[in-house]
Amino acid sequence: MHILIVEDDQVARDYLAKALREIGHTVDVAPDGLEGLHLASSIALDLAIVDRMLPKLDGLALVQSLRATGRKFPVLILSALGDVDDRITGLRAGGDDYLTKPYHMSELMARVDALARRGELGGAESATRLKLADLELDRMTRRVMRGGKKIELTAREFQLLEFLMRHSGQVVTRTMLLEGVWDYHFDPQTNVIDVHISRLRQAIDKDFDKPLLHTVRGAGYSLSEEE
Amino acid sequence: MDQEQRFLGVLTSSPFRIAIVYSIVFALGAVALLGAVYFAVSRVIDGSTDNLIEAEVQGLREQVLVLSRSDFIALIEQRSQDQDVRGAVYLMVDPQLRPVAGNVPTWPDIGADQGKWIQFKVAVPYGDQTRVHEVRAQRFPLPGGYRMLVGHDVQERQDVKNVMMRGLVAAVVLTMMLGLGGGIWMGRRILAHAGAISAVATQIMRGDLSQRLPVRDAEDELNTLAHEINGMLDKIEQLTLGMRTVLDSAAHDLRTPLNRLQSTAEAAMAQLDAASPERRVLERVSTEVDRMRGTLDALLRIALAETGTVAREDVDLSELVASIVELYAPVTEELGGCLQSGVATGAHIQGSRQLLAQALANLLDNAIKFTPAGGHIRVSLRNDPGGPEVIVEDDGPGIPDDKRELVLGRRVRLDEARKVPGSGLGLSLVAAVTKLHGARLVLSDAGPGLRVALKFSLA
Repeated sequence: MHILIVEDDQVARDYLAKALREIGHTVDVAPDGLEGLHLASSIALDLAIVDRMLPKLDGLALVQSLRATGRKFPVLILSALGDVDDRITGLRAGGDDYLTKPYHMSELMARVDALARRGELGGAESATRLKLADLELDRMTRRVMRGGKKIELTAREFQLLEFLMRHSGQVVTRTMLLEGVWDYHFDPQTNVIDVHISRLRQAIDKDFDKPLLHTVRGAGYSLSEEE
Repeated sequence: MDQEQRFLGVLTSSPFRIAIVYSIVFALGAVALLGAVYFAVSRVIDGSTDNLIEAEVQGLREQVLVLSRSDFIALIEQRSQDQDVRGAVYLMVDPQLRPVAGNVPTWPDIGADQGKWIQFKVAVPYGDQTRVHEVRAQRFPLPGGYRMLVGHDVQERQDVKNVMMRGLVAAVVLTMMLGLGGGIWMGRRILAHAGAISAVATQIMRGDLSQRLPVRDAEDELNTLAHEINGMLDKIEQLTLGMRTVLDSAAHDLRTPLNRLQSTAEAAMAQLDAASPERRVLERVSTEVDRMRGTLDALLRIALAETGTVAREDVDLSELVASIVELYAPVTEELGGCLQSGVATGAHIQGSRQLLAQALANLLDNAIKFTPAGGHIRVSLRNDPGGPEVIVEDDGPGIPDDKRELVLGRRVRLDEARKVPGSGLGLSLVAAVTKLHGARLVLSDAGPGLRVALKFSLA
């Protein structure tokens, strides 16, 4: 993937670029908003990571002008501001995801993957039937089957599984789950998400030989066929 | 209902009351003025007729002594016909009260004990019809048992009095009606303006500091007041924006180095073997960065809530409370406890869903932390007519009476709480979020345990 990083903090920018290159992405960097806009307009990008507060041209203004000129690639906004309202203004300006500093690289990578997948899938996101190995989920009838056996889930467990299935094969962090399934943007002090996951795991993996829901140490969870 | 209330509003408005008081005063003034005129006019008219009659009586008394009866009768006849003396009334009767001369057909049937002056009614031809006129007169005896009546038609005087009385009544009614109408008009005008002002004030209290009170062209007290309040709002908005800017740059200046620290630690960790002691040190650094981030997030959110500049939206409180309960129920059960809930439906407020969710989550985090294994937590939402109330109760150790105020302050952790992890900002955030929503936060004894109530008001 071709990724553009627009970030004025050199330490963060270099580390981010290095980490993304290590997993095989092509990375361009820009230290300010104007150069960022110039690069984003002249090369074919798959994704941009844009800091919110940039010299010369503000991050939000950059995203707005990209969207105004018809650039549709996903944008992840990084912010060092207070949150709550800033997240909403960030997404309204045309950002696809919003991450507050300081972040863990694992969190950022998971979100980059999710955004990249969203770009690839295009309209497939709205498919009514989701399938992974012998696990099937029907969004219309709200039925979940595994190996031909019906699995009973609560409404929330269904949403949780749906989210994981839409991101199958990727790492999904706890904050992504809290945001994507519950629409909450804070870090609970109690491990509430872990318990929900372990209940879902009971439901979908307990009676089967091959587990599908995996814990990724230090990062989150992943629903996939591979161990 | 609404119309009725608006009408009642006009009736109780101050301009209406002032108008009513003034119209009563003006009505009383009109009564006094017209009354005085009436009194003076009556006296003048009455006095002049009475003097006229007195003089005529005196003259006739002298004439009767010098004239023969036939000459006297001729004199009376002549006077009766005299057109110069309009309204003069004469009647001379014989001892059997039969008219001898004069312009009145019959001797009035009034007893002699009525005094010097008598008043009676006489039918007077008036064009085609007859009118009954009031006559004021004196009677006196003539020689030979004859009697004489000399008087004057006072109908005109009566007419003047009647006209004035009607004028008086009309003036009072008109004054009152004008007063009432003017009062209603002014009342509605003021109420419309005051209503517009209070609608904007409500929006401002909800956090929309860009709103300004409506100002009209007219220079009245309400406008002057609105102008001054708008000036005050400019100042407040400026200060709040200033605070917000300070907050943003503080956030930026703290988050950026923390992010650098995190990046550096993670980059270094990637080079190290998982079991190496250096890596364990860096992991501790990373954990501390997380903790600092947690504290920073909480402090920034508290500060943000306190500036009151958070965007408001319609929040379905019933959905929110139910969803937070649903989020926390499994973890409570996992710890051997029990999370019960009673959530009334249809409770809506204006506010920040994210901040309210975090406040509720903090209360549940606290309840879970401080309730011994196997404890009970109960979350309820009551949808009272005055506003919804959210209550979180636990059967943990609670907070002693004298320390309940204390724990709402910044970074206060009671000795008992030092054993469990936490920043000590949880309840401060709840307090700030409660205040932001104009709600009341009440800590009390759940006997045993702590009861936290958030009472919202719909005003």
